[in-house]
Amino acid sequence: MADAVSNLYSDKGIANVEAFLLGSGDWRRTGSGGVSVTIVGIDVNAGALALARVVPSTLRNALKEPDTVVVDEGDSDKLDIKSGETAEISGRKVRVIGLIRGLRGLGGVNIVTSLDTAIALDRTLPSSGGATYYLSRAAPAEAETTILERLNKYSISPSIETWKADDLAAISTNYMLMESGAGIAFVFATLIALFIGALITSQTLLSAVAGNVPQYATLRALGVSFGDIRVIVIEQAAWVGIFGFILSFSVSLIISTFAEIFSIPYDLRLTTILGASVALLLVAIFACVIAIQRLRETDPATLLR
Amino acid sequence: MTLAICAQDISKNYNIQNVHTRALDTISLEISAGEFTLLTGPSGCGKSTLLAVLSGMTKPDRGTVQSGDFVLTAASDQERDAFRLHKCGFIFQGFNLFPGLTAVEQVQIPLDYLKIPEERARQRAERALDSVGLSHRKHLRPAEMSGGEKQRVAIARALVKKPAILFADEPTSALDRENGERVVAILRAIAHRIGSAVLCVSHDLRLFSQADRILEMEDGKLRRDLRRPRT
Ligand SMILES: Nc1ncnc2c1ncn2[C@@H]1O[C@H](COP(=O)(O)OP(=O)(O)OP(=O)(O)O)[C@@H](O)[C@H]1O
Ligand SMILES: [Mg+2]
Repeated sequence: MADAVSNLYSDKGIANVEAFLLGSGDWRRTGSGGVSVTIVGIDVNAGALALARVVPSTLRNALKEPDTVVVDEGDSDKLDIKSGETAEISGRKVRVIGLIRGLRGLGGVNIVTSLDTAIALDRTLPSSGGATYYLSRAAPAEAETTILERLNKYSISPSIETWKADDLAAISTNYMLMESGAGIAFVFATLIALFIGALITSQTLLSAVAGNVPQYATLRALGVSFGDIRVIVIEQAAWVGIFGFILSFSVSLIISTFAEIFSIPYDLRLTTILGASVALLLVAIFACVIAIQRLRETDPATLLR
Repeated sequence: MTLAICAQDISKNYNIQNVHTRALDTISLEISAGEFTLLTGPSGCGKSTLLAVLSGMTKPDRGTVQSGDFVLTAASDQERDAFRLHKCGFIFQGFNLFPGLTAVEQVQIPLDYLKIPEERARQRAERALDSVGLSHRKHLRPAEMSGGEKQRVAIARALVKKPAILFADEPTSALDRENGERVVAILRAIAHRIGSAVLCVSHDLRLFSQADRILEMEDGKLRRDLRRPRT
């Protein structure tokens, strides 16, 4: 293990190495019950990699003071704490010196602190240079994949795995969505929402068409061809589609505004919007085809009785 | 007298869940232009079915239907659609107006599909409404009209294209006496002034005195054919 790490330090493709610790603890405020938390120990030196976007440099610098922590503002209610107040983690007193945004977890609560404080809070964490993860910046001269290949081949022991940042993020996202309980519930909820959305869209269209069957039959009786009726139905479907798109787009915006307000991390990508739009389009087309099929069976002669 | 439509030995059977109905049983008849023909008979004797077959909405099982050189029973669906669009007008018991449209717009619809320019279509629609005594109601929607007014809009919609044949299925049964008589007088005028063949299904005895010809059906067959000399 130590060998592997020193190999990492000495590899010519690696510009710097920093430790990253993930431990756990028991959060308490005086007189209330405990909350089990994840302790995230990061390198607090200027220019360090860990949580570089979430923990601004002034807070990073402030975390150098022992027994100081920062928490996500979305968790401050759950932890019953404000910036400047103190609490205990696993029996040790800590002071919250600031709130951060964007680190709210799917299930647990993250407490961010310096490596030294993390080790002091969770005695099971490796001290003296050990770590849960090491973060490295690749030297610009070489391609990341080349470095990774060399590390895996020569330097690193089989008990250590290396990833590119993006790959680890993808693995982690995938794990959270597909293998953690909350993630599976989330995926299920999304599928159900998608299904209900599709159902609403198609039912809106079908009932719009069904409600107009006598009118379509009247047009047929007047001599309007089935082809012209089909054009009308397709037009109607297009309106349902456009309306549905505008509606879902606005609802997404409203929901994401709420997420912003309650600092729930979310990810609304153009590809997601496009994907949902394509799904909506397919549903509208499908419902349209069914509606036309049903209209084909309507007989203008039923108006004569 | 020119023949508007001519049917030869038409039969139509319905077979639904082993219930066999002989709706039309070898019927032959001719409908003449300029005549107000009344079709009557007990409920279920096949009057509406006959209208559907003569107008090309329903294909008979046997027999031929012909209008001039055009043989409906040999024509494709599209050809029969075009026949209805160009030659036929319809008046239904339930009016069947379009809820979202004003009276003029309703009447304009057939002309739009006949590709008549907007401006002329509008003038013709207004004239048609005028001829049924509704010029002061032309901007109302169906929800804002009485039953008699709605039926007169429907008549205007049927006559606006000066159809060769006008089919009406119980046009007065949803109306009171006064409105019913008014509608009948209009139908009769259409036959005599425009020269359309008007074929009207009715149980209403009051209509009989207005008709030029009375056809009586029973059990899918034509029982009687009475023609009154035109005065
Ligand atoms: N689409 C259909 N399917 C099955 N049977 C039908 C259908 N249309 C009509 N029939 C049957 O054909 C017969 C004639 O029906 P039709 O509607 O022509 O009668 P009608 O003379 O118009 O009666 P009414 O005076 O009550 O309107 C009836 O027995 C009816 O049940
Ligand atoms: Mg009938």
